[in-house]
Amino acid sequence: MMLAPSRLVTPSLLRQTVFTRVVTFSTKAAPKEKEQYSNKQTTNVAPTTYRFIYPEFLPDPKVEWRNPIREKLERLDMIDRRSQIDIPEFYVGSILAVTSSDPHAAGKVSRFVGICIQRERCGLRARFILRNVVDEQGVEVLYEMYDPTIQKIEVLRLEKRLDDHLLYLRDALPEYSTFDTNMEPEVMEDGAPVPVNDIQVRLRPRPWLERWERQNLKGVSNIDEYLTDKRRRTAKEHEKPWEKYDLMKQYRSTIPEEEQKEIYAEVYSQLHQMELQRKRNKRKRSFVKPTKLA
Amino acid sequence: MIKSLILDLGRLRLTPLAVTQVREKGQLSRPHLRNPTWFLRKERKMRDNHVTSENKSFVQEIVQDKYGPPALIKGVATYDQSKREELVKTEKIESEPWTTASRRTGVIARKIGQYPLWLKNGERIRTTLLQIVDNHVVKYIPPELYKPAQVPSVAKLNSYGCLLVGAESCDPSTLTKEYCGLFKDSGLLPKKHLVRFLVSPNAAIPVGTPLNVTHFRVGDYVDVRGKTVDHGFQGVVKRHGFKGMPASHGVTKTHRRPGNIGGGGEKGRVWPGTKLPGHMGNRWRISKGLRIWRINTKYNVMWVSGSAIPGSTNGLVYIYDTILPLRKHKTAPPFPTMFDQTLEGPDDIWFDAVHNFKDETITFQPEE
Repeated sequence: MMLAPSRLVTPSLLRQTVFTRVVTFSTKAAPKEKEQYSNKQTTNVAPTTYRFIYPEFLPDPKVEWRNPIREKLERLDMIDRRSQIDIPEFYVGSILAVTSSDPHAAGKVSRFVGICIQRERCGLRARFILRNVVDEQGVEVLYEMYDPTIQKIEVLRLEKRLDDHLLYLRDALPEYSTFDTNMEPEVMEDGAPVPVNDIQVRLRPRPWLERWERQNLKGVSNIDEYLTDKRRRTAKEHEKPWEKYDLMKQYRSTIPEEEQKEIYAEVYSQLHQMELQRKRNKRKRSFVKPTKLA
Repeated sequence: MIKSLILDLGRLRLTPLAVTQVREKGQLSRPHLRNPTWFLRKERKMRDNHVTSENKSFVQEIVQDKYGPPALIKGVATYDQSKREELVKTEKIESEPWTTASRRTGVIARKIGQYPLWLKNGERIRTTLLQIVDNHVVKYIPPELYKPAQVPSVAKLNSYGCLLVGAESCDPSTLTKEYCGLFKDSGLLPKKHLVRFLVSPNAAIPVGTPLNVTHFRVGDYVDVRGKTVDHGFQGVVKRHGFKGMPASHGVTKTHRRPGNIGGGGEKGRVWPGTKLPGHMGNRWRISKGLRIWRINTKYNVMWVSGSAIPGSTNGLVYIYDTILPLRKHKTAPPFPTMFDQTLEGPDDIWFDAVHNFKDETITFQPEE
């Protein structure tokens, strides 16, 4: 048995313990067993629905771009902004009204009502696109969620659609993206599941902005009407049915569940406080004191 | 005749010393390139030398007893070296006032990401976050002793001293003996990264002083030096942004090629500097005149303008005071550095024009 030259192993000690394991002593008291199991259990755990309600709190899953301190600072800034403005729960397909400060508008405030056709990016860069048809002209406005010039975000109708994005509304008939500017917000019961609107839109004839036939869209009814045999064939060639079994692809494009829990546990208490405050405000708003006449 | 020739040859052989004439100086005229004294082999060859785990932990214990226990300081895993003063006595340097000719030290930072901030006028700016990672002054070489073999292209070099700054303390048992010897007189644990900064003699800092983000102020301008991302050998479309040629309409085999690279006649050759395919990236580049918009003293982070700082995320960069004449310091910065560690007030220091996320929503007042 080889022994490393150590000042603790004296020759006499070595002789005694040639065939046994040398146990050196420590000058310090043995460290206490960490009480991580008992403590970790009691930390507040955010509901699993948070990853759908607040998806922008999850960082970009690209490993090369991640840094724990940057992500933490970014989350702190997001919470700070959320303490000033109520950013409600919404999804692609929900109808929103955004009031924002605009130096070029008359009165310096502009309000836009439209359907959310895309929601993307994470952190302070999170953004969404609203679409409406104004005077027979399609209009889209891109809003950054944490832009401090946004004064108010109202959800007029909370619902989901069949697809992850509704960019095909640009090529659909205008009635599918026309919404009344003076729409009243629809009241939903507390805790009710978000309804899924399974409406299927009708597209205009080609030319289209994108090759919608290759995107496996569920919210379009008449895609096949305008396809030639060649387009149908090439769409078939570009299909990638194996991608749903690609575990590595899924792993690279998502944040693991354990990390999600950690992230939401960090921001849970503040977000929960804000939710409670919002509920209180809503109740206040629903009850209007009758005014005395004369 | 033959006889005389044989005699000559014999004489030639008999000469005690044959001198061959040297017309050129040969190797002697080559510049004598010595590396700086701190360019030593850092990594030790890790051998499995049968040290028991108990002995290993004992060595760790000795290191920690001498230098300090491991600690998380300003978001960086390092060692708590508050006992350094007991190990080594460093002489105090008399502080002199700042002048416009002074040149302060820089710091070593990591690029940790980028995200937008908004100004108070509603404008969105893109910023990069730079974290100063556990910096300490390791050594100061005064101007009269600093004679580098490879002379940096700095005007009036002989009036500047050399300040050696290290970043990120690490376990000395992973490093070579000679590299650890660099830190012997400073009482610091060995650092993973060493960088020299040229400073004017009045900006010299005592050895062992930590450098923090408070070395800079919000609103100041900095130059950031980093090594760009290595892209390898690239064609002209990626390397120089050439347009390439059409995908169809009869174009064959020249979709991403440079096309013509020169004329004929008297200029019938490839001119020097012609943009051609080649290695892209992995070069030192400095982005100059970046403004500091915000500072976080808790994590030693600064937000500087721009999203194209050289280097990858989590890569090292060096931060200097800017050399751009119109953006240099107008008033005295913390000089030679900020020695006061205990700063009161909030963690975040914002530049006046930047919107703090805790503030109310930005509104514009309509004109009367």
